[in-house]
Amino acid sequence: MTICSNNAVVNGGSRMKKDLHPLFYPRSAAVLGAVADPEKVGFNIFESIVYGGFKGPLYPIHPKLKNILGYDVYPSLDKVPGPVDVAVIALNQLSTVNVLEECAQCGVKGILSIAGGFGEVGAEGVKLENKLTERANELGIPLIGPNTLGFINDDGNFYATFYPLRLIKGGVSIISQSGGMGLTIMQKALDEMMGMNKWIGVGNRAALEFSDYLTYLGDDPATRVIGVFMEGSEDALKFVKLIREICLKKPVVVFKAGRTKESDYMAMTHTGSLAGPYRLYKDILKQNGAIVADTVEELVACCKALSLSQLPEGKRVGVLTHTAGPSIVAADYMLQLGCELPKYAPETYQKVRDVIGQNPPVVLKNPLDAAGLGFPALTYGRIADAVLGDPSVDIMMAIYCLHKNWRFPSQEIIDVRKKWNKPALAYYVSTVGDSAKDREILQKEGVPLYINAREAARAVYALYEYKQIISSQTQG
Amino acid sequence: MFKVQVKEILDKVKSDGRKLLFEDEVKRLLAINGVAVTPCEVAHNEDQAVQLAEKFGYPAVLKIHSIAYTHKSDCGGVKLNLPDGNSVRAAFREIRAAVADQEPEISVTVQPMASAGTEVIIGVTTDNHFGKVIMFGLGGVFAEIFEDVTFRLIPITRKDAFDMLGSVKGNILLEGYRGNPPADRETLVDVLLKVSKLIEKNAEIKELDLNPVVVYENGLLVLDGRGTLL
Repeated sequence: MTICSNNAVVNGGSRMKKDLHPLFYPRSAAVLGAVADPEKVGFNIFESIVYGGFKGPLYPIHPKLKNILGYDVYPSLDKVPGPVDVAVIALNQLSTVNVLEECAQCGVKGILSIAGGFGEVGAEGVKLENKLTERANELGIPLIGPNTLGFINDDGNFYATFYPLRLIKGGVSIISQSGGMGLTIMQKALDEMMGMNKWIGVGNRAALEFSDYLTYLGDDPATRVIGVFMEGSEDALKFVKLIREICLKKPVVVFKAGRTKESDYMAMTHTGSLAGPYRLYKDILKQNGAIVADTVEELVACCKALSLSQLPEGKRVGVLTHTAGPSIVAADYMLQLGCELPKYAPETYQKVRDVIGQNPPVVLKNPLDAAGLGFPALTYGRIADAVLGDPSVDIMMAIYCLHKNWRFPSQEIIDVRKKWNKPALAYYVSTVGDSAKDREILQKEGVPLYINAREAARAVYALYEYKQIISSQTQG
Repeated sequence: MFKVQVKEILDKVKSDGRKLLFEDEVKRLLAINGVAVTPCEVAHNEDQAVQLAEKFGYPAVLKIHSIAYTHKSDCGGVKLNLPDGNSVRAAFREIRAAVADQEPEISVTVQPMASAGTEVIIGVTTDNHFGKVIMFGLGGVFAEIFEDVTFRLIPITRKDAFDMLGSVKGNILLEGYRGNPPADRETLVDVLLKVSKLIEKNAEIKELDLNPVVVYENGLLVLDGRGTLL
């Protein structure tokens, strides 16, 4: 006698709008193939859900085991004493296909399929994957994977991956065609203290495509910025047409892999899809309103800035520093990207002289290098006030170097940003750890912090790019 | 009316059992759609070649007209700057001799020699992932060696077309340099839009390759082209 049989009516074969909400926000979940051995995927994905703080009923399923991490184990899905919204299938590829029917009978609303051995391994795998796709579609159950690390919805405390971890809460959601690159993005996001909302390892995309996830995240009120790592997809046309619509609501940042002919083959054998020519992808993504990143670091830098900062009115950057080198390197990157470094107004220079003396031993220009006079945070803050207050400055990059005895001018930068109601970014020459406390303070107040010139520069330009995207679209 | 003419050209290709669109066919497609091309007609013998050359005016250009030799200059199939009837006859014989083993009865196209300008290429391809895509780049080594080309999904907007010019490094040549006047970017943008529209309306065209297109201070000319059908 099982409750789940109450839900046995399935809208067979329906391929209307795919409702992914129950998949991302399940009220209950079962892990098929959960085991007690920490070396196994079946343990780790179960532990990840527990460690992630899932609040609903959670059912490990295994034919022999009695208890995993204090949870009662059930021999099969139909023996579970309650409805199951999401079935996480950590079985091998053959058993995965065979268990779909049972999931449908038990009224499961969404499936995560972890196993590899499908389309990525050749003809036999393709056959099996087609079977998986057909069955999932016939049963009308959205299925993530196969051949994936899983997915995370921090917003719903559902961490269904076999790499147990915890993210920082926030508005960035990531779609990744690779588990490993998806992890790279998450780890970088943790270093950067970039708040994340959802993370999806799309795997082989047997039943759900990039466009399905993009549609979902585009409509998802908790997602403010969408980041994508992709190798390639036959779905690309639909994907870019969706970006064209979604980019008006929220930024879409894409990092596309596969720049050489050889990488086409590598991508094919990885997730069963050719990478496609890089330049073509890059141009067409941009044409349709995506912000294109060239590395994981850039992807995270752009997503972080876009999720935290207000947008600049234009591309004129005021740079402030107490050490020339980093400002020159950052200026190089920004100018190459297409930013401008305007000359400051005479009044701005006068304001600076009022702070550091009428005949300071520095050349007053943009980037403004206050040298030794800029070390004290209070002085730095008063110069920052002059820079961001300059009428020709749309956005400020504030550079400072970590020092044992001098504090970072974080509060000063925050105050100036608020006073002028213009965006500001901080670029601190520092380690991830030594700037952690200031990163938290700054980013809470909408000032993204970076610890290298390239990421800081890319972030500045991304803010301008998105401003352009929304203004050109609204102008028609 | 234009629609009918385009259909006629494409139907002829199909009824011949070809996928390849010859240079003269591509140029007719373009001309119908308001793109300036060098006039180009097929000659099956020496006399016809000379007649056409006199009609268009010297200096003349002869090019091989063949399904097999689509890289026309690689096989010695392009003869430029022919000043008179005798040189046209000689060029015709040389082209025939070059491919005598394979196609002894080969035809040629005849057209007038165009003056020099900034060479660009415009292409269309049907990509497996995206479908119809238009490509633009500066001609010669810029496209071939530096791969300095840019792509957009079809259809393109006027803004897309201008962005395309700005997206290639060779753009600097279009802007004018070392006393050379700037190229007619407005007309180039118009042509990109016209090609986009042609493909949008005729999805059976799989590829187009307009190479070279010479852009002048005022206007441009498509000097060569080929295409394929799906």
